[in-house]
Amino acid sequence: CQKDLLETVPDDRLSAESFWKTERDAVLAVNAVYPNCLDAGDRLFMFDAFTDIGHTNSFFSANAQVEQNVFDASNSVIATLWTELYQGIASANFVLDNLDKIPTADQALINRVRGEAKALRAYQYIKLATRFGDVPLVTKVLSIDEGKALERTSIDTIWDFIDDELSEAADLLPVSYAPADLGRVTKGAAFALQARANLYAGRYQAAADAAEKVIDLGVYQIYPEYGTLFSYSAEGNSEVILDRQYVKSVLPNNIFGTMAPYGQLGRDGANTYVPTKALADMYTMANGKEIAEASSGFDATMPYDNRDPRLRFTLYVPGDIMPNGQVFNSLPNSGTADAVGGTFFATTTGFTLRKYVNSEDAANPTNNGINVILIRYAEVVLTYAEARIELGLIDETTVNAINEVRQRGDVNLPAIALGTSQTELRDIVRRERAVELAFEGLRLNDIRRWGIGEQVIPGAVGGIDYVEEGEVKTYVVPSFQKQFNPSRDYLWPIPYTERVLSPNLSQNPNW
Amino acid sequence: EAQRKSLDEILVSVELKNLKIEEAFSRIEEITEFDFAYKRSDFDTRKRISLAVQNQPMTELLLGIARETGLQFKRIDETINVSRAFEQTNLVSELLAVVATASEVEVTGRVTDNGGNGLPGVNVLIKGTSTGTVTDFDGNYKLLAEDNATLVFSFVGYKTAEVAIGGRTSISVTLDDDIAALEEIVVVGYGEQKKVSVTNAVAQVNGEELTKRPVSSIQQSLQGQAAGLTVLDQGGSPGRTATTMRVRGITTLGNKNDALVIVDGVEQQLTNINPGDIESVSILKDAASTAIYGSRAANGVILITTKRAKEGKVTVDYSTYYALQNSVNNPKMDMPSYMKLQQVAYENAGLVVPQKFTDQGIDEYLRGNKTDPEKFPHVNEWYKVMLYAAPQFNHNLAVSGGSETFKARMSMRYMKQNSILDVPIDYGSNLRDVRVNSDFKASENLTFSTDLNYRSNYSLAPVNEANVFDRFIHGSLFATPKYEDGTYGLSTQGNNPLMFAEQQGTSKLWNENIFGSAKAQWKIVDHLTFSSQLAMRIDNIRRKDFTNAFSNTDKNTNITRTVVNNSLTEIRDNSTEYTWNNLLLYDNAFGNHEVKALLGYSTIDNAKDSLRAYRERFYNNDIQSIGQGADDGTKTNYGVNSQFGLRSYFSRVNYSYNDRYLLEMNARYDGSSRFTGSNQYSFFPSFSGGWRISEEDFMQGIVPLDEFKLRASWGKTGNQTVGLYSYYQSLFASAYTFNGVSVIGFQPTTISNRDITWETTTQTDIGFDAQVFGGFTVALDYYFKRTEGILLNLPIPATIGLGAPPQNAGVVDNKGVELQLGYRNAPDKALRYNTTLNISANRNNVVSLSGTGPYITGSDINPLTIIDEGLPINSQWGYKTDGLFQTQEEVDSYPNIGPNRGPGDVKYVDINNDGLINASDRVVIGKSFPDFVFALNGNVSYKNFELNLLLQGASGVDTRLAGGIAENGNNEGFVPEIVSKGNYWTSENTDARFPRPYKRDLLNMYTSDRMIIDGSYLRLKNVQLLYNLPDMLVTKMRMTRANVYVSATNLFTISKLNQWGLDPEVGNGRATYYPQVSLWTLGANIQF
Repeated sequence: CQKDLLETVPDDRLSAESFWKTERDAVLAVNAVYPNCLDAGDRLFMFDAFTDIGHTNSFFSANAQVEQNVFDASNSVIATLWTELYQGIASANFVLDNLDKIPTADQALINRVRGEAKALRAYQYIKLATRFGDVPLVTKVLSIDEGKALERTSIDTIWDFIDDELSEAADLLPVSYAPADLGRVTKGAAFALQARANLYAGRYQAAADAAEKVIDLGVYQIYPEYGTLFSYSAEGNSEVILDRQYVKSVLPNNIFGTMAPYGQLGRDGANTYVPTKALADMYTMANGKEIAEASSGFDATMPYDNRDPRLRFTLYVPGDIMPNGQVFNSLPNSGTADAVGGTFFATTTGFTLRKYVNSEDAANPTNNGINVILIRYAEVVLTYAEARIELGLIDETTVNAINEVRQRGDVNLPAIALGTSQTELRDIVRRERAVELAFEGLRLNDIRRWGIGEQVIPGAVGGIDYVEEGEVKTYVVPSFQKQFNPSRDYLWPIPYTERVLSPNLSQNPNW
Repeated sequence: EAQRKSLDEILVSVELKNLKIEEAFSRIEEITEFDFAYKRSDFDTRKRISLAVQNQPMTELLLGIARETGLQFKRIDETINVSRAFEQTNLVSELLAVVATASEVEVTGRVTDNGGNGLPGVNVLIKGTSTGTVTDFDGNYKLLAEDNATLVFSFVGYKTAEVAIGGRTSISVTLDDDIAALEEIVVVGYGEQKKVSVTNAVAQVNGEELTKRPVSSIQQSLQGQAAGLTVLDQGGSPGRTATTMRVRGITTLGNKNDALVIVDGVEQQLTNINPGDIESVSILKDAASTAIYGSRAANGVILITTKRAKEGKVTVDYSTYYALQNSVNNPKMDMPSYMKLQQVAYENAGLVVPQKFTDQGIDEYLRGNKTDPEKFPHVNEWYKVMLYAAPQFNHNLAVSGGSETFKARMSMRYMKQNSILDVPIDYGSNLRDVRVNSDFKASENLTFSTDLNYRSNYSLAPVNEANVFDRFIHGSLFATPKYEDGTYGLSTQGNNPLMFAEQQGTSKLWNENIFGSAKAQWKIVDHLTFSSQLAMRIDNIRRKDFTNAFSNTDKNTNITRTVVNNSLTEIRDNSTEYTWNNLLLYDNAFGNHEVKALLGYSTIDNAKDSLRAYRERFYNNDIQSIGQGADDGTKTNYGVNSQFGLRSYFSRVNYSYNDRYLLEMNARYDGSSRFTGSNQYSFFPSFSGGWRISEEDFMQGIVPLDEFKLRASWGKTGNQTVGLYSYYQSLFASAYTFNGVSVIGFQPTTISNRDITWETTTQTDIGFDAQVFGGFTVALDYYFKRTEGILLNLPIPATIGLGAPPQNAGVVDNKGVELQLGYRNAPDKALRYNTTLNISANRNNVVSLSGTGPYITGSDINPLTIIDEGLPINSQWGYKTDGLFQTQEEVDSYPNIGPNRGPGDVKYVDINNDGLINASDRVVIGKSFPDFVFALNGNVSYKNFELNLLLQGASGVDTRLAGGIAENGNNEGFVPEIVSKGNYWTSENTDARFPRPYKRDLLNMYTSDRMIIDGSYLRLKNVQLLYNLPDMLVTKMRMTRANVYVSATNLFTISKLNQWGLDPEVGNGRATYYPQVSLWTLGANIQF
């Protein structure tokens, strides 16, 4: 007769009670925060597909409803995003709540871990604030009853919290790490997040100050080749401030498998998100002029030639060579697997993403190790420029900041001249952000804070321009209309079930 | 007469030379005083025998004849009764009337049945003695008895009659049928009871019923056999079948509604038992019968008793069958109408019609298809090309027998079932099992038994088999199954299910189960018995899923499908469970009082571990050993361990007064390791009572009521199937990488709940069992059960950032009625028949979700189900519709679900009148569980023929098909004939059943009442015609019994799903699994 028959203790998992004994536990706990808070590539692409520059290829997926702004508070995509954000916050809170339990021998390490957790938690709040506005501010591990009693905190308080936390984190974090820890949050990353947050909050002075701190660290610079910036050879280069790290065959991602042209892959699931005509048209000519300008030299029969080189570094357009050596031909009735209007796995716009689609992954399309950049120096520089433009501080440093990005080695567009008006500069820096940072998950926030949703989002989704029987045509995605209600769609709804479970949560307007 | 000699004392000399049996009897009659009484049908009248005795006992002569003829002899006074020998012992016996004393009289008479036919072989005993006689073939008897004695007439299948002689010399009696006696004993929890004294709702099925239908699992054979038991057979490839079994509805949310299965006292898996080994199955339905299983019994209990040897001659049973399996799912697609539908769909969507679907294109294609089908393949004929009538065969051998001190039964089975996929790979299953049940009798007071069962089932299926069947329907149009050169055609999406079935790789699955049990039974004193059983069960699963690397290019279209890397996933799951049962039984009767009591203690101790490993890039697809794959970062492995324990104390008391008033009380005190602290133990009581009104004096002779028993019961049972360690706050490992090196992270992922405890189901049952007019039986039950404290992962605010723990919340009610009607005609008729009808109705209702919910699963374009207070669990949820829009004005003046609506589109109803069609307009549109399930079982036998029929069905259940088959050709899916052949809306066909097709748009296909199909059905589940070989022939072949049969399952079905070519038991969804099959079977059963 076994005495302990009913006292089974699992030997395949760790007990929370036996944790928090040494500094090693602190590091192990903060390690778990990273994958929760750092967005995977498909998340970034999805966010751009909710804007004018991208499109959800499967018209019947739940994401497509969000893209069209035809959904309600019970939408599963929104609920999932909300849930994931708070999961990241909970894992950071688990660290911050318990760090002090460790009998400390190495205070520096504990401080660093505290800084990492605080910065990553603040990163989550930036995402929450831009997507939902006022949100519950959760700074410790909650009980169920505490969760049910939560109320929304005003977005201003959230921005204050983010700013304070990132200042504190920056104090605790090192400028750089030993090789084994490369990829952890640095002082520069905390400042860069602070710059981003304050820019989103419209606190331009604070944004410019934080960006300047990143610049002043002197450890970051623009990488000379946009064409290889998102490839394996450039991983960890000095433009990267924070990235989500992957290792092929160990912790791989599936970017190639989901984003490379269907014709290249010959498998289900290709082309989850595709770029649109709106994005393609935003790239200027190589001479810096917009394609609509009369003297730009744009030739509608060869629409993708002589353009800002970033166009073809970012997108596959008809005629490009795919990693397998074949020509990408998405023209309707081209007879290839990629032809628009063929199977629904093929691109529905005729474009596919090239950024992050690396030929090294062609042999093993679902097993990719490419790191996904979350913050890079070019963004910080553009933030610096935009903040100063908004502050009316238009001088050489402002213009030079834009030019630093435009004149990257292999991009090399004509410089913006000093003396350009604030309005013009505003347009320029906004376009720079759109094309430079396309499919890096930032466009949706930009559209929201610029208030241009109703201008750029509604309507059908445009695809490739092509010539058929001597006539220039634009392919349009069939039966697909995006909408945008300015009195509603600048914020997403608080998920329906959240408001059932936490009755004190109010709803955003008109949801 | 007074000096009557025994057969051993009568010496005879006779020479029987090549005489027919009848001639031999006449010859012996000539030389002795004996007369032979025989039926000519008992022996082969043409058989000749030769035998000679010289001055030897009569016994020797008769034995000699017996051995030659397979007959046995019983002497009663001067008559020698002849009958067929079923046993090789006691071939010659005698019964001599005692010499009359002064007060004795010679009594004669005839014993008959209700129909006036003489009953042979009836025992006639003088009450209180062992003296008596047996009736002859006409039912006549003669004996000497004291004139004040009482005669007792008894015969199997008839009620025993007692008649006082009262000085008479001629007494004739009529014996009444005793149908109840034929299934007198019912197996209940930890014991058995006389059927007449059972006070609970228990259904019993005997093993013979189960083996009539040659199916591959017992679950399938239990379908339709008992009221209150719902078996849903959803197909599944050989060795991996999918059946669900529900006793009286579902009590809990989630997937923990399976009945507890107890085989010979120990929890086991039903699939592990050979149907040929089953003696009986009891289905315990109400709380009074299940409460003795306490915490595991909320969903009913299925008790199985396996066959054991009987004392006597060794018998050998061999049975075999060969069957052909055919798919029941056979949707058909019509090419010309499909192509036209596509043209319309493109036009409706305002898209350019692809060349292939223009009028000219269709003509060309159809013509091309006739002349060059490789270049112009048929749109979709996978069901035709890929399925065939696959064989299944089964051998079952059982040897049984023994002496008083040692008995054993050994059985073996081999079953091979081929997959219906018509490919050169030997997909299917191979099942082997062996069972040995032995009984030892050490002394009058001490017996032992040991049982061993080993089962091994190996099955081979395509790896990712779901993909193969998915591609029968989705994304596989216009692909040549196989070109003459052996390469495959591919659809635009690069699919070809035949290619997947043949090239994708294989999944090998070994299921091994070992069961061993040792049991001792000790009769301590009279009326008091102790037994102890220790059992061990080992379940091992080994699985190897090998995905091939391959590449195929369609030579016509150049579309390529490539799997770059081959890979192997290998799985080992091991579970060991020890059960220890101890029972103390008391059984006594005092006058009219009868008491039975039971005290028990049991423990269950279970440990599981599982391991899985993955590697890729093997040298080629034939090297399938895990060690041979790439030894780099791509290899992974994973494992978990778990344990649980259950400790239980239980008791039962039965009391009956005068066999008329019956009471029963059960109690169980269960402790489970799944809970902690004071929640570990819980108490499950039950009470039941019965009143056999028919035994009351006032009922005698009033109505032709042979038996009428009222029953009522009440009790509580539990459900403990919560995830292990739910009360334990644990941290889970995650992985991340820094600079190319992976690191481990730890975090909590779920909140723990230390307060967690059992779900409790309280059930009340009222019913009666009746037998009227001799052959009719009726059993009716009404029940009400409420499950409280349902373990729900009640959603918690996501802001907490952790997963929801299971919590005791939620209340679900089930109520229902079960009716079982039976009729059996008198057993002596040449034409015998019996029939059983059972009907069960169950209503399910979610009473409370503790303020949460509703829980809606699915999406607009897939089946949507809702769990909400006041609704049956998983009600179908969606829009109401009001026909199709007929004019543009109608479209414009009505809220639309989306853009581009036009005539021919579905008119969804704006339930809340807010001018929008959205999620808040959804309502209940159907049921996921049937209102009624019913079955009609009939057996007819005439002379050597027997016919068995089983009709089975369900009503009041709905199905929501999804995916290609439901979507009118929106994408590249299967479009059934019923849609494409003129049944969709066009301006010329405005009262069409289906809306206008519309390419790349699913707004017409949102889950609505239009998408709900009535899933009611009635099917001839089984028909079997059996022929018992003539005795003569059987005897000649030295057998004791032999029959052959043909049978067919799922012969026809009445169902609305026939229009779709689908099986009615499919359930919601994309219908993309291995189809259910029908069987044509030829079989034989032989006994030596």
